[in-house]
Amino acid sequence: MRPESEAELVEIVAGLNGPVRIVGGGTRGVIGPEPGLSVAGLSGITLYEPGALTLVARAGTPLTEIDAALEAEGQQLAFEPMDHRGLLGTTGEPTIGGVTAANISGPRRIQAGACRDFLLGVRYVDGCGQVIKNGGRVMKNVTGYDLVKLMAGSWGTLGVLTELSLKVLPKPEAQMTLAVEVANARAAVEVMSTALKSPYEVSGAAYDPANGQVLLRIEGFSESVAYRIDRLREILGGENIGLADSASRWADLRDVRAFHDHDGDVWRLSVKPSDAPDIAAQINADRILFDWGGGLIWALVPSGTDLRARLGGFQGHATLVRADVATMEDLGRFQPEDTTIQSLTKGIRQKFDPRCVFNPRLMG
Amino acid sequence: MELPQPNPKVLARKRALLTRLQQVLPEDAVIHDEAETRVYECDALTAYKCPPMLAVLPSTTQQVSDVLRICHEEGVPVVPRGAGTSLAGGALPTADCVILGVARMNEVLEVDYDNRFIKIQTGRTNLSVTGAVEEEDFFYAPDPSSQLACAIAGNIAMNSGGAHCLKYGVTTNNLMGVTMVMMDGNVVEIGGAYLDAGGLDLLGVICGSEGQLGVVTEATLRILRKPEGARPVLMGFDDNEVAGQCVSDIIKSGILPVAIEFMDRLCIQACENFAHAGYPDCEALLIVEVEGSEAEIDGQLSKIIEIAKRHNPVELRESQSADESARIWLGRKSAFGAMGQINDYMCLDGTIPVSSLPFVLRRISELSEDYGLPVGNVFHAGDGNMHPLILFDANKPGDLEKCEAFGAEILKLCVDAGGCLTGEHGVGIEKRDLMNHQYAPQDLESQMAVKDVFDPSWLLNPAKVFPLNVSETRRMAAE
Amino acid sequence: MQTTFTEKQLQDPAIQRSNEILRNCVHCGFCTATCPTYQVLGDELDSPRGRIYLIKDMLENERVPDAKTVRHIDRCLSCLACMTTCPSGVHYMHLVDHAREYIEAKYKRPFSDRALRWVLARILPYPMRFRWALIGAKLGRPFRFLMPDARLKAMLDMAPRHIPPVSRNDDPQSFAPKGTPKKRVALMTGCAQKALNTDINDATIRLLTRLGCEVVVAEGAGCCGALTHHMGKTSDSHASAAANIKAWTREMDGDGLDAIVINTSGCGTTVKDYGHMFRNDALAAEAARVSSLAMDISELLVQLELPANDNKSELSVAYHAACSLQHGQKVTSHPKNLLKAAGFTVLEPADSHLCCGSAGTYNLMQPEISAQLKQRKVRTLEARNPDVIAAGNIGCMMQIGSGTDTPVVHTVELLDWATGGPEPRTLRDGMSGVPRLR
Repeated sequence: MRPESEAELVEIVAGLNGPVRIVGGGTRGVIGPEPGLSVAGLSGITLYEPGALTLVARAGTPLTEIDAALEAEGQQLAFEPMDHRGLLGTTGEPTIGGVTAANISGPRRIQAGACRDFLLGVRYVDGCGQVIKNGGRVMKNVTGYDLVKLMAGSWGTLGVLTELSLKVLPKPEAQMTLAVEVANARAAVEVMSTALKSPYEVSGAAYDPANGQVLLRIEGFSESVAYRIDRLREILGGENIGLADSASRWADLRDVRAFHDHDGDVWRLSVKPSDAPDIAAQINADRILFDWGGGLIWALVPSGTDLRARLGGFQGHATLVRADVATMEDLGRFQPEDTTIQSLTKGIRQKFDPRCVFNPRLMG
Repeated sequence: MELPQPNPKVLARKRALLTRLQQVLPEDAVIHDEAETRVYECDALTAYKCPPMLAVLPSTTQQVSDVLRICHEEGVPVVPRGAGTSLAGGALPTADCVILGVARMNEVLEVDYDNRFIKIQTGRTNLSVTGAVEEEDFFYAPDPSSQLACAIAGNIAMNSGGAHCLKYGVTTNNLMGVTMVMMDGNVVEIGGAYLDAGGLDLLGVICGSEGQLGVVTEATLRILRKPEGARPVLMGFDDNEVAGQCVSDIIKSGILPVAIEFMDRLCIQACENFAHAGYPDCEALLIVEVEGSEAEIDGQLSKIIEIAKRHNPVELRESQSADESARIWLGRKSAFGAMGQINDYMCLDGTIPVSSLPFVLRRISELSEDYGLPVGNVFHAGDGNMHPLILFDANKPGDLEKCEAFGAEILKLCVDAGGCLTGEHGVGIEKRDLMNHQYAPQDLESQMAVKDVFDPSWLLNPAKVFPLNVSETRRMAAE
Repeated sequence: MQTTFTEKQLQDPAIQRSNEILRNCVHCGFCTATCPTYQVLGDELDSPRGRIYLIKDMLENERVPDAKTVRHIDRCLSCLACMTTCPSGVHYMHLVDHAREYIEAKYKRPFSDRALRWVLARILPYPMRFRWALIGAKLGRPFRFLMPDARLKAMLDMAPRHIPPVSRNDDPQSFAPKGTPKKRVALMTGCAQKALNTDINDATIRLLTRLGCEVVVAEGAGCCGALTHHMGKTSDSHASAAANIKAWTREMDGDGLDAIVINTSGCGTTVKDYGHMFRNDALAAEAARVSSLAMDISELLVQLELPANDNKSELSVAYHAACSLQHGQKVTSHPKNLLKAAGFTVLEPADSHLCCGSAGTYNLMQPEISAQLKQRKVRTLEARNPDVIAAGNIGCMMQIGSGTDTPVVHTVELLDWATGGPEPRTLRDGMSGVPRLR
C-alpha cells in the first residue's frame, strides 16, 4: 500500500480490515508479517521560511531532500538524527516521518534538544481514518493539548503522520572537538560532566572505551569556538588534543559506527549520567559507547541477552534496537512500564486506533 | 463568559465533603468561609470570577492524593491552582468546585549539578528555582514575565515560555519528569533524571494540559550553567513595521540572540514609569540580548547592530552595566502590570509567523481605531509570540464586551495568518470558545480523547480549554 | 480591577482614595512573591493580593468586618514590600491604613485584644510610661509562665535586660554646629526608641554637629503617631502627628529648617505621609510642608561631606534594610554607600527585601509569625559572617538582636565612630551591655 496523497491514505485506512506496518523509508528496523503501509508517496517540502526558522514537509520526504534545502540557507535540523542503516543493515531512504515517529536524535540532543523538541506541528490520519492536526508552524504554541509530543516517538502506533512542521536552526559556522584521554568510564563521565557544567555550551559529549577517548564538541562562530575550546582546556587541565575536522567522528558516533561490523544485539539505554559507569559495568557488554555525557549508553551484547533482567531496576529505560525476530518478540523493543502508565498508554492507543490496526506489535 | 451550571448534588454535599477534607488536612488548610473563599474566585484574569465551594492548601503529595480521592468519590470538580497568575483564567473556579492550591508545596527536594537537574515541589515559584541553584551559577531557563510569582505547577500546566525561550526553549523542553496525582488519587511517576521517554511521551502531553489530566506535585527540571555574561541592546525605531522587519533580518542572519523583545510607545512609557530603565522615546523598541564572554558578546552585537543600522534606528544603545541590564529587564517583565497604571486591560497571547509581524501589527492598529479601544503591544518578537494589551474601563458598562469582541478578532487574525490562539498563556477560559476557529471538530475530539483516558469523569479543571458545547456530552455523562 | 462603589460611597474621600488604589490593581499576583506572611503561611488570604480583595469586598459592601477578615489584615506587617514589587503602582499602604481605621470603627474585638491594644496605645508612644513599663516587665519576667496569652509573654520578653537612663540630649534644645554652619535641621527624637536606646540620638547629634549642622530638638514634638495609626486608632495618631506638625512649623517659621531628620525609619515613613493623612484637614498645608522636609538621616548625610576618615577597623558590616526604609521610603543605597565611604566592608543578606518580623508592635501582636521571620532574617544575616549588623530602625535592631550574638548597631553609630565619635557601646561591651530582647 502506497498512497500518493493524504486523501488516498484516508481511504486506505478507513478501509483496513487488518493490521498494517507503517513504513517511511523502512530504515528503522520495524519488521513484522503485517503488510506495509508506505507514506513514501506523500513527499515534498510544502513550506520553508528561513527567516522564521520553520520548515513544513510531508511525512515521506526523504531526509536528504530536507538537508539539502536547509544547507542552501545555512540551516540544519539541530537534533542531528541518526541514520540506522549501517547499524541495522537496512536499505532505503530515511524520511522525515520516520525520524519523527521514532523521535530520533543524535549527540546534539544533550544541548539542543530531541526531535520532539523541534517538532512544531503534525498532521496525521488516526485509526478511524480521520485527518487530525495538532500544533502548527509557529515556534510557540500552547493551544490545546500537545499531541505533537505524543505523536513524536509513538512509532506509528497512534496514527499515520502525513505532514510535519519543524523548527530549524542556523548551522554553526565552525566546530571543534577536544579529545581527552581518560582511564575509565567513571573518569570519562566526570570529564563530560565538568564540561557540560561549564558555560561553554558543549554540543556533544561522548566516550568510547575502546580508544579511551572522551570527545567534547564546541560549535558556533569561529572566534567563539576557539575561545571556548581554550577555556574548556583550562578547566579540564591535563592532556588533550584539539581536533579541527571532527564532523565525521560525530557522524560515526551518531550512527554507532563502532558496532556496524559486529554481530550481536544492540541496546540503547537512557540513564542518569552519573549512574552510567556502574550500569555499564553491570551490562558487561562486548562493546559499549557512551553519548550524552553518559546519559545514553549503546551496548553490544551476545544475541538473546536479556539485558533488562541483568540490570534489574534502574532510573531510565532500555530499548532493544537490534536483535533477531525471536529475541525482539521475546524481550520486547521497549522497556515495560509501570501498571498505571501502561494502562494510560493502552487507553490512549485504544482511543486513537480503536481497531488496533497500526503497528500492533510495537509499544505493548 | 459562560460557566456550566453548578451541580446541585455536589453543592448539597458541601458539609459532608468539608468534614471529609478536614479529616485529611490540617485545620488551616481547608478554606470554607464565604468571606475567605471569595479571595480564590479568580486569578490574574479578573474579568471572569466565580467563588469556589471550598479551597484546600495541601502540603504533601499524600495530602493532594487524599483530596483528589475524596473529591473523586464525591464526584466534585477540582480546579488546581499554582500561584494564580494565569492571564487566561486557567485557575478560574466553578461554583461547585474545590480549589486545590499547591502554594504550600515549595520545597527543593534534590539538587544535582553533576547531572544538571533539580527536583522540586511544584508550588515553588519559577524564580526561586533559579534562586536555589544560583550560588553555583546555575539557572532554570524558562522565564515567564511573571516568574517572580508564578509557580512551576502553573508553568507545567500551561507550558509557559518567556523572553529567553528563543534560545532555551519553553517549559516542555526543560521538564524531565513529574510526580502526578491522578483524579482518582493514584500517584504516578513519569520521566526523571534521564532524557526522553521509553514509551509514549506522556510527559509531553501532560505539559500544557492546563491541569486537566492530573495534579503535578513534584517536578524534575533541567538546570543550566549561567553564561559568562549577557548584554541587552536597546534599538529604537520610529515605526512598528520597520522594527518587525529588523527582527526578521536578524534571525535570517544566522545569529540567534537569546531574546528579541518588542514594545510599542504605550508600553515603553508605562514600563519606563515603573522601572526607570532609560528606554528611548520612540514608536517601537527592540530589546535584543546576546550571551557569552565579553568578546563573544561584542562579536555578536556588532553583527546585530550592523543589521539594525540598515533600518535607520532612532536609537541604538548597549547596556553599560549589570544594574542597567537588570532595569531593562525589570521594565520589560513588568510590562503587563505597568499597563495597569493606565487602565484595565485584557492581555492576548497569539503567535504568528515572524514574517507576518508587520501585517498583523498594522491590522491590530486599524481594529483599535474601529473599536475605539487603545492597544499596547509588547511581545517576544523572535518567535512571533504577540501580546496585544487591549485597554478598557472595567467600570464602564459595555467596555468589557467590546474588548472581548476586539480580542477575538485579533486572535482569529493570528490564526488566519498561520499562527495560533495562544503561545504561552494557555487557552484557559479566555480562549476556550475560539478553539473552533483553530481546530476542526475531530482535532478537538482527539485532544478530548486524551482527557477521557486520564480523567474519565471529567472532574479536573472543568469548563476550560474546550468549548462548552463540544465537551457537553462528556461532562453530562460524567455527572 | 473593576470596583462597584456607588456614587454616594465615592463622596467619602477615604473611599474615593481606596477606589483609586483598587482601580490600579490588576490582580497580577507579583506582590505575593515578596510578601513575608505569604512566604510563611502560603495562603493567598495572607498576601497583599488577598488582603486587597478582602478590603475591597468589605468596603464595597459596607460589611461589618468578620473575625477572619480582621485576622488576615491584622497579620499584615505593613512592611510594604508589595509596594516595591507592584508594577501597577498600587498604594497598598493607604489602602490598608483605611481598612484598619474601618475595622477599628466597626469591629468589636475580643476583650483581651482590646485590652492589649489599649495598653500599647497608652504606653508605647509615651517614653516615660514606656520606660516604667519596661522596668515593670523586667521585674515581672520571672512570672512569665503565669501569662495566659502568647502576646503577653512576648511583651515580657521584649523588655530589655538593660534599661538606659534618660538622656538629657532628648530634651527640647538646640545643638550648635562644629565649624562652618551648613544646615539647620530638626531631629525627631521619637518615643519608644529613646526609652530603649539613647545611644542612637546621641550619636546622631554628635555626627550632625560634626558635619556642620545645627540640630534642633523641637519643643512639643513627640511620637510620630505610627504605632496608633497602624492599629487604626486614627484620632490618637492624628493628635500625635498634629503636635509634631505644629512643633516643626514653629521652627520652620522661626529660624527656619533645612530638614526634619528622622533616625527611626518606621517613623520616617509616617512623617513623610503626614501630607496625605491631613489632606482634608485644616493642617493640610503645614502637614505637606513637614512631609516635604522630612528625610531619613541617611538622606541628609549623603548631602553632607563626610570627613576623610581613618577607619582602620576593617569591620565587615551586614546591612539590614529596614522595610520602612527600603519599601516605605525607597531609601536603598544611601546607608550602604555611607558605610562603604566610611571604610566598612558592607555585606548584604539573601532575600534582603524580606521583613525581620519586628514591624512596630507586630512582634507583640503576632509573636508566632514574627518569630519565624526573625529566624529567617538572622539565618540569612549570619550566613554572611559579619562582625556587626547595622540597621536604620530601632525595631529591627531589637528584633534581630534578640536572635543573634552578632552585635547589632544603628548605622549612625558606625558613621559617628568612623568620623571621630566613640566606639558603639555594643561593639565595646558586646551584646550583654546593651538593650536587647531576652
